[in-house]
Amino acid sequence: MFADNWKISLRQVRRLLILDIFGLSSLMMPGALSSLTGADGIFCLLFGMAGGCVLLLCMGANLKRAKEDYYHYMTGTVGQFLGDFFMVFYFLYFIILCGFVLYQITTLVLSWMLPEGPFWGVGILLLLLAAYGTIRGIEGRARIYEILFWFLGIPLLVMLFLAIQKVDSDRWAPIVYSSGEGILQGSLSFSVFLLPLTGILFLKPFCQNGQKLASCARTALVSVTLLDGVIYLILLGVFGSNTMGVLKRPAITLMSMVNLPGGFFTRQDVVMISVWFFALFALLHTGVFQSSLILKELFHEPKGGWSLLVTVILAFAISAAFFRNQILEEAYEIYQKWIALPGMLLISLFLLLVYWFRFGNKWIKKGEGR
Amino acid sequence: MGIQITQDLEENIRNFEEMFQDCADIKRRRIRVGAQGGRECYIAYIEVALSSVDWTDSAVGKFLQTLRGMPEGELVEYVKKNVGGISDAKPFGALEEAAQGMLTGDTLIFLEGYDKALKIPDKGYPGRGVYETESEKVIRGSNEGFSESVKLNTALIRKRLRSPNVKVKESFAGRRTHTNVDLVYMKDLIYPEVLEEVEKRLGAFEIDGTLDSGIIEQLTEERKYSPFPQFQTTQRPDRAAMAILEGRVVMLSDNSPVALIFPATYNTFIQTSDDYYSRWEIASFTRVLRYLASFLAMVFPGVYLAMTNFHTQILPTDLLLSLAAARQGVPFPALVEVLIMELAFELLREAGVRLPGANGNTIGIVGGLIIGQAAVDANIVSPIVVIVVALTALCSFAVPNEEFATAFRILKFMFIFLCGWMGFFGFLVGLLGVLIHLSHLESFGIPYLSPFVGADLSGYQDERDTFLRLPLKFLKKRPIYTREGARTRLKLKKQGKG
Repeated sequence: MFADNWKISLRQVRRLLILDIFGLSSLMMPGALSSLTGADGIFCLLFGMAGGCVLLLCMGANLKRAKEDYYHYMTGTVGQFLGDFFMVFYFLYFIILCGFVLYQITTLVLSWMLPEGPFWGVGILLLLLAAYGTIRGIEGRARIYEILFWFLGIPLLVMLFLAIQKVDSDRWAPIVYSSGEGILQGSLSFSVFLLPLTGILFLKPFCQNGQKLASCARTALVSVTLLDGVIYLILLGVFGSNTMGVLKRPAITLMSMVNLPGGFFTRQDVVMISVWFFALFALLHTGVFQSSLILKELFHEPKGGWSLLVTVILAFAISAAFFRNQILEEAYEIYQKWIALPGMLLISLFLLLVYWFRFGNKWIKKGEGR
Repeated sequence: MGIQITQDLEENIRNFEEMFQDCADIKRRRIRVGAQGGRECYIAYIEVALSSVDWTDSAVGKFLQTLRGMPEGELVEYVKKNVGGISDAKPFGALEEAAQGMLTGDTLIFLEGYDKALKIPDKGYPGRGVYETESEKVIRGSNEGFSESVKLNTALIRKRLRSPNVKVKESFAGRRTHTNVDLVYMKDLIYPEVLEEVEKRLGAFEIDGTLDSGIIEQLTEERKYSPFPQFQTTQRPDRAAMAILEGRVVMLSDNSPVALIFPATYNTFIQTSDDYYSRWEIASFTRVLRYLASFLAMVFPGVYLAMTNFHTQILPTDLLLSLAAARQGVPFPALVEVLIMELAFELLREAGVRLPGANGNTIGIVGGLIIGQAAVDANIVSPIVVIVVALTALCSFAVPNEEFATAFRILKFMFIFLCGWMGFFGFLVGLLGVLIHLSHLESFGIPYLSPFVGADLSGYQDERDTFLRLPLKFLKKRPIYTREGARTRLKLKKQGKG
C-alpha cells in the first residue's frame, strides 16, 4: 500500500537528525564550553560546526559512491575483512552511545522527576519503549519525531524568548580571551556531539532521496548549531560563565527560572524537561536502531529479532556501568574525542582513497553509485 | 451441483418442502393459473415479507393476475421470454440459489412446465425506514440516518452522489446468515489497491454469521490488538457520501445502520459533517477543541495525579493549599479516589446506555448530581476529583466518533496508573508509548497520523484541513486517499466585478 515502502522522506530525516544532535549537545555542551572558554564558547560552536561539515563532506562523497547500502559499499571497496572491521567500529560507537544516552536520560529522570525511582526500572522501561519503536521499522520511527518536532520546538522557543529578558549582555564579555588550546578543546567537544550524524551512512536504503542525505544532515547541523548558539548566549547572559561552568545542566536550571505570563504555573522545569526527555529518547532510539541494524547486517540475520535483543541487553549493561562508575564518563569523553571522531573521519577518507585507487570515477554518473 | 429445478412441479414442490420442513414462517400456496385454470403454480414467501397476494396491491399479485388471464399454452413462453414483465424478477435454475433468493425477503414462484423458479421482489423484510441519527448530531445539515437495510442505505448514498462512477460491489458474509455486504466507492477516485485489499480481507475469513458491521470490522482490521479503530464508522449518509468524494470506500452491511469508512486517520475521526457546512472560523475553533478534548480525555486525571502527588512545585501555592484543603478528611490515596470516581462514572454511563431513554437520562442526573454530591459530603471523594472526572467525561463526549472516544477512555486508565505510580515520568512514558503505537498504525496503508506525518506526500495540501479548517476556497485538492491525478475537487472560475 502507500506507506509500506520502508522509505522515509528527507523532511523526516532532517527532523530526526535535529532531535538526535540537539538533545545531548544543548544539555551538556553549555556547561562544558563555559568552563573551557567562557564567552568564546560561541566560536567553539562555529568551529565545531565547520568540523562537522568536513565530516559530512567525506560521508557525502562515500554515500554518492554507494549504490546499495553502506555495508556492501565498504566490503566492495576494501574487502570483506576490513568492511566487517569498520562495521564493528560503527557498532561499538552506536552501542556505547546507546548506553551513555540511556544513562543520561535515566539520570535526568531520577534527578528531576522521580528522585526515589530505581535506575534499572527506569532504564528498562525506556529501552523497552525504544525496542518497541524499533521493531516496526524505520517508517514509524520517523513519524514519531516528525510529529514531535514542533510540539517540542514551539514551547522551547517560547521559553527561550521569555528567558531573553533575564539576559545581561555584559556577561557576554570578555570575548576572544581564551587560549587557542581551550578553543580547540571546545570545538572538539562540540564536534563529538555531532557524531550521531554518521547514522545517515546507513539510512540510504531507507530514504526516498538517498543522494541528498548529506545535504539534509548539513541543514540539521547548521540548525542545531544556531539553536545551541542561541541557548548558549542566553545561558551565558543569565548565569555568567563562572556559574554556568559549575552547573551540570544549565538549560534545565534556566527553565525553572523562567515564569510564564499570568503566573498560574510557577515552575515549568518539570514540563520543559520533556523537551530534552524526548530529544534524548530520539537519540537512544537512533542508537538502538543503528546498532541492531549493523548487527543484523553483520550476521546476515533476516528478521533482526536477535540483533535487537542483543542491542537492548548490551545498551542496558553499558548504561549500568556508567551509572555505577562515573569515572567512565571521562573515559567516554576520551573515547569520543580520540577514537570515535578521528576513526570515523579516517574510515571515510580511507574508503574514498581506496575507491579512487581501485575504480577512479568511472562508475559515478549523475549521482549513481557503484 | 445442488438440486436442479425441473419442469415437474410436484418434484420441485417435494424438494422445496423437504428443504423448508418445520419452517412455519415460510408460507406456501398452490394457485391455479391460465384462462381455464388448467395449470398450477406454487408460491413461497416469508410470512411478513410479502405485502399481499391481492391482484392489485403487489407485484406478485399483478403477476399472478396476468398469468390467470393467459391461455395455458402461452404461460411458460411468456414467463421465459420476459420473466413476467417485472424488471426485478430473476429466474434461478438451482433450488439452493432460489431458496437463498427467497430468504433475502422475496417471493418464489414455481410454474408447472417451467424448469426455473422465479424470484419476485416485494416489500421484503420489515425495517425501520429512514430515521434521524441517534449519534453524530449536527447543527447544520441533513438529519437522515442509515437504517438496517443495506439497499436503503445504498440508495441514501446514491441519492447524494448521482454519478455513474459511484459503484456498488456486492458480496456476502456469514456462512449461515448470507449477509449482504456492499462496498460503495467512486471508481475514478479510489486507489484500486484499497479495494483489492478489502476484498482480500473479506475473503480471508469464514464465519457463521455477521449480524452487524462491527463483526466485519473486527475481522478485517489489520492491528487487532490496537485500542484505536482502523475503520471510521458513521450512521450519516452525508458523511459516507463525503468520504466517497474523498476517494475513500464505504462498507455497508445488511442489518446494520453503521457504515464503515476506510482508510481512516486520527484526523478523520475528529472531523464532523458540519465542519464543512459551517463557516470556517467556527469549524476551526471546534476542531481545535475536539483535538484538545481527545488528548485531555486520555490524560487529564493522570496529569492531575502527577501534579498533586509528585510535582506540586508547578502549581501556585494558593491553588495547592485549596487542593490540600479539599482533600482533607478523604480516607483514600488520590489514585484510589480518582479510580473510584472514574469507575463510578463508567458504571453510570453503562447503566444509562442500557436503560430505556427517559430512565437513562434520570440515571445521569441521579448519578451525577445526587451520588456525586453525597460522595463529597461523606468525604469519600474530594470535590476537585469530581470536577476532574466530570471534565474528562465532557472531553470524551466531545470526540465525535464513539469508537474513537472509547480508545481514549481505555487509555485513560493506563495514564491514571502510570502517573499515580511514576508522576510526570509516567505521563511521558505513556505519551511516548501511545505516540509510538500511533506512528506505527496504518489504515489501508495510510499512516494513522497523516497528514501530520508524511504531509509532503500530498504536497502539504492535506494540512489545510487538520487543526484548522481553512476556508473552502483553499481546499482545492482532495486528501491523500484519492488516486493521484484525480485530486482536484474545486476549481474557482474567474468572474468579472459587478
